[in-house]
Order: sequence, then structure tokens, then C-alpha cells
Amino acid sequence: MIQARLRINSETYDIPIEPQETLLDVLREKLGLTGTKKGCETGECGACTVLIDGKAFNSCLVLAATVQGREILTIEGIGRAEKLHPLQAAFIERGAIQCGFCTPGMIITAKSLVDEGQERSREEILESMSGNLCRCTGYIKIIEAIMSVIEKTK
Amino acid sequence: MKKQDNSYEIGKRRYGTDSIVKALGCADFLADIKLPQMLYGKILRSPLPHAQILNMDTSKAEQLPGVKAVITAKDTPGIRFRTYFDVPGNKLALENEKVRFVGDEIAAVAAIDEEIALEALDLIRVDYKELPAVYDPEEAMRPGAPQIHAEAANNISYYIKREFGSVEEGFKDSDYIFENRFETSAVSHGFLETVGCIAQFDLSSNLTVWLSTQNPFHLRRQLAYIANIPEARIKVKGLHIGGGFGGKTAMLPLEPICIFLARKSGKPVKIINTREEQLSTGRIRYPMTIELKTGVKKDGRLVARQARVITDNGAYDNKGASITTQGTCERFIQLYRVPNIQFEIHVVFTNKQWGDSFRGRGAPQGIFAIESQMDIIAEGLRMDPAELRLKNVNLPGEINPAGNRITSCALRECIEKVVAESGWKEKRGKRNNRGIGMACVIHTGGGAALYGRGNFSAALIRADQDGTFHLITGETDIGQGTNIMLSQIVAEVLRVPIERIKVAKADTDSMLPSLGTWGSRITYTAGNAVLAAARDLRQQLFWLASEMLGENIEKLDANEGKIFVRGQEGEKSVSVTETISEGIGKKGIPLMGKGYFEDKNVIPRDPRTGCGNPYPTWHFGCQAAEVEVDPETGKVAIVNLVAAHDLGRAINPMGAEGQIEGAVMQGTGCALFEELKWEKGRIVNPNFRDYKMPTFSDIFPIKTILVESEDPDGPFGAKGIGEAGIVPTTTAIVNAIYDAVGVRITSLPITPEKIFSALRRKACTQK
Repeated sequence: MIQARLRINSETYDIPIEPQETLLDVLREKLGLTGTKKGCETGECGACTVLIDGKAFNSCLVLAATVQGREILTIEGIGRAEKLHPLQAAFIERGAIQCGFCTPGMIITAKSLVDEGQERSREEILESMSGNLCRCTGYIKIIEAIMSVIEKTK
Repeated sequence: MKKQDNSYEIGKRRYGTDSIVKALGCADFLADIKLPQMLYGKILRSPLPHAQILNMDTSKAEQLPGVKAVITAKDTPGIRFRTYFDVPGNKLALENEKVRFVGDEIAAVAAIDEEIALEALDLIRVDYKELPAVYDPEEAMRPGAPQIHAEAANNISYYIKREFGSVEEGFKDSDYIFENRFETSAVSHGFLETVGCIAQFDLSSNLTVWLSTQNPFHLRRQLAYIANIPEARIKVKGLHIGGGFGGKTAMLPLEPICIFLARKSGKPVKIINTREEQLSTGRIRYPMTIELKTGVKKDGRLVARQARVITDNGAYDNKGASITTQGTCERFIQLYRVPNIQFEIHVVFTNKQWGDSFRGRGAPQGIFAIESQMDIIAEGLRMDPAELRLKNVNLPGEINPAGNRITSCALRECIEKVVAESGWKEKRGKRNNRGIGMACVIHTGGGAALYGRGNFSAALIRADQDGTFHLITGETDIGQGTNIMLSQIVAEVLRVPIERIKVAKADTDSMLPSLGTWGSRITYTAGNAVLAAARDLRQQLFWLASEMLGENIEKLDANEGKIFVRGQEGEKSVSVTETISEGIGKKGIPLMGKGYFEDKNVIPRDPRTGCGNPYPTWHFGCQAAEVEVDPETGKVAIVNLVAAHDLGRAINPMGAEGQIEGAVMQGTGCALFEELKWEKGRIVNPNFRDYKMPTFSDIFPIKTILVESEDPDGPFGAKGIGEAGIVPTTTAIVNAIYDAVGVRITSLPITPEKIFSALRRKACTQK
């Protein structure tokens, strides 16, 4: 057991963790932050995406012990019902959410692109998002939602 | 029913109910649920495709600290089931004599954490006597093949031959006859949320089961049967579902296994499939081989269709027989007008994963054969493939040789719209590595009366004093947007803002009996039930309002949350909220709208002839794909796709588009990238890296055209749309590839290797 200190959504958590525990499992099982989803556990679907110091990572491939002291952002930390993040609002308004299982990972990955502020072509954005799988929507309304926020942020 | 010009909600673009909680990350899915003292279950599965179980020793596993229960078949009632029915079948929740596919369940462990559970599995000793295995259904049918089930000679699970009219006469009457063979592949539903179960007995032996299911009532029945518990003692709680696509309609062995572990340990147990388990042991779309022989007149009229279908059933019975017969083979009768049809089906056991319903329920396989061959016929007759289809197009009001009746039908319009919008005439026939191809679909638009049951749905709408409405049905939203669509119907009738409609969560204790979410049935059946309930409630509210206003009820109308005397909206009106208060608060009467729908036109299928009319209505559609083929590599890029679908009436156009777009991408995956691969009975690509589903990088422009034929019996004219989008996509792509480079792929998936080899062969034969 390691006595770990993790910074998640601007809060500090002191919790005992095993060295081999993934960040995904610590978030979901130890901290009750179940918004981040487990889709494959091998970094291939993106449902577990979180931001670590602003960059998107598959939390199923991150050992929690190695990200102590870093700023971790999960879906629970980016918006509230009274104040949705623009990406959350765009996903909702444009029908980009069907079953909703991929949605947290999608929004987090998209947020990292929006926050980066880099000038990216649509093809580059599609490629950057391609680590997030969706089986329900066919991606069309999701990319429309993301592009609408990127356009507004310009 | 005439299209309403003054619609209040119908036709509005609405996002799904619960979109906000899903975007916030607080929608509860099965894996998110944690109960006090909950144990984690893991299943021991056969590593062999076919073997006798000689001996099983669980003693070491039972002794491992942290293990609270180990179960084998002896801890279960040993009832063999068929998943979709509470009738005897050939699968045990835990096998004890034989295993029949890699992944077959034989034991299970519940422990205080997953790691201990996995360690315990390793400690279970099983002695097998390996038996020869068979993987190909045609091989499995031959004399001398390994026998998988003692009672199934030649491994045949089901055989039927049906004829409507006379194909012999039809072929005599034909000017040309075409014979082709088609093969479809094994694909996975690919839902992002794997299957799982949580089961908990309380101290009075009542069982609560949390499930990601499309069918809570049906599951309750099945679980009661398998676990030998009275149905009244079981509560199935539905949660948000992370995709279903037909793979979460019927019971999975994992579910009773979870119940048995909960019973033995006395604690709640959670089992969730890993992705590897889901892809390597989960049920799959039934692969089929279809030999299709079609006779036509020289003007293109279809005269006769004869089909021989061999379905790879996998190791156990699920719905292979019904899917092949109704989903696949009936399409040979249903798509286009054909007077003479014969089909012969063998559903065959193999030592592989067993199959399940998969979006389209057998129709994608049937349409692959029909629509590929229509293009072959068109080329033979030197006809435009669109013209050939129009020549044989289904028409409203027709009754086909099996007695299925078509009500609303806009297939002609779908084809014509696709031709107009896709640049069909300009793009076709160039053979310059770029081509366009089309395929059509007929699909159930309101489910069906199957398995001896009717086709029904029920709804209750409770008015609450704050002016909101609580909609209770038996139906389940699996993410496709049925909750918001049903809410729109309520809002339309009551003329209140949509935000005031709340939809109850699935719970068999408090919801209404239902048939479940499948067959694209919710819009039509539940929509009609909800429509009736809303009208009933509206009458009750109007009656109250008429008393409050002192006016004749005939004079009243409603809009924007108010009830008023027509023409005197400003002066003589009361709010809906006030009206509800008057009823519940002052008079003490409950305001509940009650609605029920049953398809009264059902003519049950005659088991002798196969004739009948279990289907209330049909969805029609047409898709055209434009592709570009790289002749150096065989790689196919989809340039764009136009999809026109007759859904009767688009209650929620945004939801309907979402269904079509999602289905088209899923169909594209099944066409080009996805294939489960076996080596010696073991799936060798049980992960998303090697089982490649479409990603953002694979998308292409999809133009959806919603065609509204206004079904006479659908709610506001609406029919279903959930499945139809996937049915023609693969074949439109196949036909487009032929148009682009002149090679026809008749076995799925369409890999670059197949195209490249076919191009090489073509070049060689042309020399």
C-alpha cells in the first residue's frame, strides 16, 4: 500500500492505493468518481480519458501512484448542471449523445483540443479524436458539436 | 392521418432525455453501482472448443482467503434453457458434462475483490477429455462430423423448407435466371458498455437484479425460470444502457451465474465482462451462407426467388432459427414484388460462439444477397440498377405471397430521392476507380407478434401538482432516444413544454409489462400507447377545466400549458398546473392517463404454411454509397452516402438522423473492417486494436433524407427507424465497389486483400 496524495478536479485526496492500481480504478472504485468509464482496459477505446496537466490520457494505462502531484481533471470537474462547459452544452444541443457511455471520454479529449488553442484542420481534429470510440452516433453529430465550440473559441 | 400544420412538438429537433446527466458524467450505468459488502464475480470458461468434463476440483479455490463462494453446476437447478424463451433448450448456465466452445461457462467465483476472484479461478482444477471440434457449418453437417449435441443429428439445430407459389413454374416462366452465393461474417455488437449483472438477495429471499437490458420484463421471466425463483420475488432494475444493438435483449449465462453466486454467498455480487471476454465469448451476429437463385423477365420483373441458407448457429441455441426464418428468409418474400418464393434453411451447430439478434435481426444478411444480386441482374439485363428496383418496387396496400400486408410505403420516393440527391446518373458506370452503388431495405416498422405473443404496449401518465407529468411505460430507452420521442407525444397532446415531461426509470416493480426494445417497435407500439394515455389525460384535465371555467368541454382547447375557451385565450383560461391542483389538491382525485395499444390486425403465422401477418407496418429505405478504390492496395474509401428512409413521420428528426448515422457507420464497420477471427476455435482478435470498429478517421458525409409516408396507424403517422439504417449499407458499398472497379465481393468483410486479388484475377482473365 502507498499513501498517495492525488489532485483531482482541484481537490486533494489522501488515500491508500496499491502500486499497481490504475488511475481509472482509483477514480471509480476508491473515490466514487464513476463518470470516467471503463470500456476496454487496454487504451483502445478512450472511454476512460482524463486530463493530466491538461493533456488527454487513457487513465486505464496510467498507474495512479505515478501521477501524484499532477492536476487531474475528470468529467465531474468540468461543468455543473447550472453551468455546463460549452462542450457539454454543444454535445447536448446537437444530439451528439445517445447512450452516453463514450460521452465523458469524448468531452474530455475534445476539451484538451479546445484548450490547446492550436490552429487545427478538421482532419487533424478527427485524427486527434480517433482514440475515442463511439458505436451509437456514427461520430457525425459529435464532430459537429466539437467544431462548433472550436469555431466559437477562435 | 393528415400531417398537422400546427404541430406543437412533433417534428421538433430534441436531444435525448438524460443527455444532461450523461454529459455531466453522473448517469448511472451498471458498472457504476456499488453496494455494501458487494463481492466481485469471475467466470471460469472452457479453454477448449469441444471437450468432455471429466472432473472438476474447486477445493483449493474455496480455501483461498477472500473467496466467499465457488459454484459449479451442482449449485444450480440445472435447467437447460434457450435464452429467449422459458422453454427447455440446450444450454446450462454452468456446464458440467461437456463444453462446446472456447468460453463456455463451467464455474464461477465470488470474492472480496477482482484480483482474488481471478486468482481463485486459476486454482480450480478441471480435467478435460478433448474431443474433435468442427467450425464450419457445412463440414458440421457431413456424416462423420463431431457431434456437438447428442440430440442433434448431423449437428442440425433446425431445418425448414417453405414455398409460396411455385418456384418451378416461376423459373419456367423466367427469361433469365441468376444464381449466386453469398457469405456473411461474424461480427460483434461492439457496444462500449460490456454486459454485466449485479444480483442481491435480501433477508426475505427477494431478489433484486441490476442489468443493462433492453428487456427487463422478459429477463425477469427468464431468470425466474432458470434460477427456479418465483417471478414475483424478482425485481429487475434497469439502468442507463451503454448500447444494446440487440445484444442485450435475451438472457446471458452471466446473469443466472451472478444470481447463483449471490445466493450461495449471501452477499450482493457484481460480474462485468472485460472487453476481452465480451469479444471472445459474447454472442455474435449469425454468419450465413446464402445461395440465391432468381428468375426474371427480360423487362426486369422478378418472377421467382429460391434460396438455400446455412446459418452458423454456434455452440448453443438462441435465435438462429427465428432470425434465419423471419429476419433473413422472409425478406426474400418481402423486398420487392415476387410472386414465387422458396427457401430452405439449415441452422447448424459449430464449436464457436453462439449467435444473437443484432441490429437488423437477420435482414442485413438477407439484403446482402438480394441487393447484390439485383445489381448482377441489372447488369445482365443492361438496366440501371435503380430502374430495376423501381420496376419491382413495393407499393402501399399490397399483400405479399406470405400474407404480410403493407400499409404505408414510400420506397419509390426513397429510391427517387436517392437518385436525385446522390448524383446517381452522372456518377454511375465510369469504372474509373470511383463508383456509386445502391441498396434498399424493408424492415419492421412496429415490431411483430412473435413467439406466440401479441404485439402490445401500455402507458400511464401521472399528473403532478407542480405541473409536471410522469410517464410510465414498460419500454426501455437504450440510448436511441425513445424516451424523448415518447415525451414529445405527451407534450404534443397536452400542449405543455417538453421540459415538464419526466420518464420513469425501468423497474419491473413499478413499470408496466412490456415486450422490450427490439424490432424497431417502440415508436409505433409504445408511441400509440402513450398517445392514447395522453389523450385520456387531456380529457380528464379538460373536464376539470370546464368546471373551473364554467364552460362546455367542447369549447376548450390547450396551448403552452394553458387550457382555454377557443378564441378567448386571454380571458377565459386556466393553467394546466392550476387544473391539476384543482383535481389532486382540492377534489382529491388522481389524474392518470391510461393508454394501451395492441395490434388488432395480427394474423398469427400458420405453422404449416408460414403465412400470416404478424407485422403491423413496414419501414422502407434506400441508400447509395459513393466509393473510391485504390487499385494498388484494394483499399476502399467511402466518399459519401445518401440515405433516404421512410419512417412515416419524424417525431424527432434529430433523433432519427442520429439513428441513421450511427447505423450507417456500424454497417460500414461490418462491411469493411470488422471480423471476429478464429484459430482452432479460439478468437484471436478479442480487442479493439484487432477488431477494428470505425473511428472518427473513417467518417464520411452522410446525407439523411427523412421521407414521411404518414402511416395510417402510427402515432402522428410515425413508424420505427432504429434498425433500418444498418441493413442496406454494406450492400450499397459492395455495389459501389463493383461500379468503381468491376469486381464483386460476395463474402464479407470486404477486405483490401479480397479486392486486390479480385482485381488481379480480372486482369489475368482479361489478358
